[in-house]
Amino acid sequence: MPKLYTFLKYFCVILWSCFVVAPFLWAISTSFKDFNSVTGGATYIPWLQFEPTLDGWSVLFKPGSQGGINIIGPYFNSIFVTFTASFISIVLGTLSAYALSRYTFKAGFVKNNDITFFFISQRIMPPVVLAIPFFLFLSTLGLLDSLAGLILVYIVLLMPIAVWIMVDFFNRVPKEIDETALIDGCNPFQAFFKVVLPNSIPGMIVAGLFCIIFGWIDFFFAFILTFTNVQLLPVKIVALNSSITPWWSLSAAALVSVAPLIVVAFVVERFLSKGNLSGALK
Amino acid sequence: MNFKHKFVFLLPGLIVLIGILIFPIIFTVRLSLSGWNSYNPGLDFVGIKNYIRLFTDDPRFWQSFFRLSFLAITTVFLQYIIGFFLAHVVWKDIKFKRFFRVLFLIPMMTTPVIMTVIWRTFFHESLGPLNDFLSIFGIQPAWLSSPGLAKISIIVVEVWQWTSFMFLLLLAGLLSLPKEPFLAASIDGASPFKKFMYVTFPLMAPISIGAIIIRLIEASKIMDTVFVLTSGGPGTSTETSSFYIFIKGLREFQMGYAATMSFTYLIIMIISLTIIAKVLTKVLMKE
Amino acid sequence: MSLNLGNIIFKPTEQYHLNDITLNFEPGKMYTILGRTLSGKTTLLKTIAGLQTPDSGNIQFEGKDFLAIPVWERNVAMVYQQFINYPHLNVKQNIEFPLKQRKMDPDLIEKEVSDAIQKVGLKGFEVRKIQELSGGQQQRVALARSLAKKAKILLLDEPLVNLDYKLREGLREEFKKLFTGSEASQSIFIYASTDPLEAMQLNGDIIVIDEGKILQTGSAKEVFENPANAKVAEITNDPAMNLNKGKIENNKLIFNNDIQFDLPSNLQSIQTGDYLVGIRATDLYLDDKGFNFQVDISEISGSETFLHLHNQDIKCVATIEEVKSYEVDENVKINFDLSKIYLFKESGELLYSPYQ
Repeated sequence: MPKLYTFLKYFCVILWSCFVVAPFLWAISTSFKDFNSVTGGATYIPWLQFEPTLDGWSVLFKPGSQGGINIIGPYFNSIFVTFTASFISIVLGTLSAYALSRYTFKAGFVKNNDITFFFISQRIMPPVVLAIPFFLFLSTLGLLDSLAGLILVYIVLLMPIAVWIMVDFFNRVPKEIDETALIDGCNPFQAFFKVVLPNSIPGMIVAGLFCIIFGWIDFFFAFILTFTNVQLLPVKIVALNSSITPWWSLSAAALVSVAPLIVVAFVVERFLSKGNLSGALK
Repeated sequence: MNFKHKFVFLLPGLIVLIGILIFPIIFTVRLSLSGWNSYNPGLDFVGIKNYIRLFTDDPRFWQSFFRLSFLAITTVFLQYIIGFFLAHVVWKDIKFKRFFRVLFLIPMMTTPVIMTVIWRTFFHESLGPLNDFLSIFGIQPAWLSSPGLAKISIIVVEVWQWTSFMFLLLLAGLLSLPKEPFLAASIDGASPFKKFMYVTFPLMAPISIGAIIIRLIEASKIMDTVFVLTSGGPGTSTETSSFYIFIKGLREFQMGYAATMSFTYLIIMIISLTIIAKVLTKVLMKE
Repeated sequence: MSLNLGNIIFKPTEQYHLNDITLNFEPGKMYTILGRTLSGKTTLLKTIAGLQTPDSGNIQFEGKDFLAIPVWERNVAMVYQQFINYPHLNVKQNIEFPLKQRKMDPDLIEKEVSDAIQKVGLKGFEVRKIQELSGGQQQRVALARSLAKKAKILLLDEPLVNLDYKLREGLREEFKKLFTGSEASQSIFIYASTDPLEAMQLNGDIIVIDEGKILQTGSAKEVFENPANAKVAEITNDPAMNLNKGKIENNKLIFNNDIQFDLPSNLQSIQTGDYLVGIRATDLYLDDKGFNFQVDISEISGSETFLHLHNQDIKCVATIEEVKSYEVDENVKINFDLSKIYLFKESGELLYSPYQ
């Protein structure tokens, strides 16, 4: 029996691994093709079934004027927007999470859990619901098609994540440590910055990772709220999809854009194994 | 500790959030009470006419809602089962643990839209590898142009993308479990199956609930996939609520009505998710 | 220099956590707050520290209104039962923390810190991380931090309860030494405990608290010998003092139709009536000429055995000075040392104590 179980285990794991890897392999292969290789039917292995070219890849770095698809600009835009919005979300979110964890609020019938729920319920809003009002909101402020406008919107998306993770995390830091800091002469702010914060680094890193992940992968808001001045990576790629862009550049562009987060996968795994993540995610 | 300091901590985040949100929310409600459409742009007031239309004259909305529920629940269910299985396998006793863990984490780190673009080429009926492979068996399913299969395509893509997230949450949970109950079970001579049923699964109950709720919340927003893969089609077979609202609002410019749908949708979602959370808690905590 | 609490009331929920507390603390003395779990000890300490604000009442310290001063400006120190230290700092940094916060002169800080480390016996541990230390060592770090502050009020909330027995005994002795030095004459020491034995060992002034109310204050000897009421008698003894209904009638002390005594000389002056009769577990002994009791439970603890017994409706616990195992429902013969009997009115107040 145990042997059968082990065999099944490895079989399923390998099966799933193939499933995970399949689209990547396909994209890699496709990115080296040209017109004939694609339209003649599905082909897979370079050199055996088709002639590989670097067209798909070189076109990525040429600016639009030369018939290329410049993705460097959108790349940096995405990085800038994601990191800025994540940073602000974590700062504000951590502060609010601390308050929600340590103090009791009572404004009429609104209590702590309700406020936390309010933060977290922002995630329930489908982008579509917010898109139209945000569209009008940003255009009134003159922030349509701008980095600042997008960052503002992303904060709404990401702060709930920061709050969710940090409230949970702070709840597991003993209140007595804050109390001791107060007794030792710190006012509440000093207690927070000198004592609680240094002990919250793992939690903040987890929050940071999640914010970055969810910020990077957004498509919809960038799609609705930016046009020409500012373009984010996902939007750019999807735009390629609907136009008559060939599959090979599409695949190349797609691969380039997902590469960075693969690095994040490594970071997350290391955290998991060290045990930091497990605490913060409960 | 009742100091004024607590407000200084809470308020910046809360105010920023409310500040950015308040206009959209109030505006949406106000918009839902107007008849703004492409012939008639502007905020007039038509009372609850839109709501009446929604509840009595728009079966498409409710169909989209059921479709959404179907897709969301199916994908989350599959993600949970597969995710749990994978997490359990790479938890302890397997070679190349770390390699598999990183590998299984990768899908959620990718931008869904972008991967869906690749999937689109993958599912392509004449030029894609999937049908090429299946032609060996003589079948060439119309993945993206037949209603039933289109739904399956979406489920496949969603499962590929998000099982990884479920996997992460569940693995983190497993890694944080105390060792003692397992040692006790071993001493009592429990088989691996029994250990799972009576120790692992119950201990993981709160984490399972959390993970499922979180995924349900995210899954109910299925948009990117639908948008790129099928555009809601063929026909309306993969049209989810979000997509329908999108069409009405940003394609047909019936802003007022779209706002009505948005607001109604939001209320329904908040209520159902709260109920689901409570039910799940009762069911899984009892065991 | 004294700390005065007046009519402190704290009622955050349906029940009173602190019910009209009035207390006075003088510097240079050690006070033990003795009470069961959830009796309000921790709440009281936290109120003095400023971590909790009472609903009404006043607190004066050195003549000033303490309630107007926030926690971080009150000169108090607190040691918790859960070994609280700053995890991200090492031993030395932990102890320095309050002093640095006060912006003391660095040389002075050095001196105070090394003094404190010396006093708690942690010399050589300065650069160790908190996580590397054992429970007892961590608690000593917490103690050292409190001592280094030279706080005027030192609050200890069951600091030894999470340590093992031997360590507890040793540290308790060290406490007593630390808290009766010449420097200590400036400070007020308040130690909360649930253990009457510990309270007796510390030998300070005892404050007995139950359900948020002060039941009695006095020296350890006084409280032990003359508990003000039946409740105090329960709290200040471990095992709790045996309390049973009894009658004085016809020159006899009657418990039930089986257990009766001729009224001993020390009780001759008591009037006929119904009373609550108290006797300590240690004042019951095995005696072949005694009364029949059935064993309910037999507990062996250290070098003694606690027998839970009953004779019809009379229940009591007897401490037997040897380790012996008894079967449930076994019959034993027990006698009472009548010279140690306490009498309480049926409402609970002390009427007669053997030490009066």
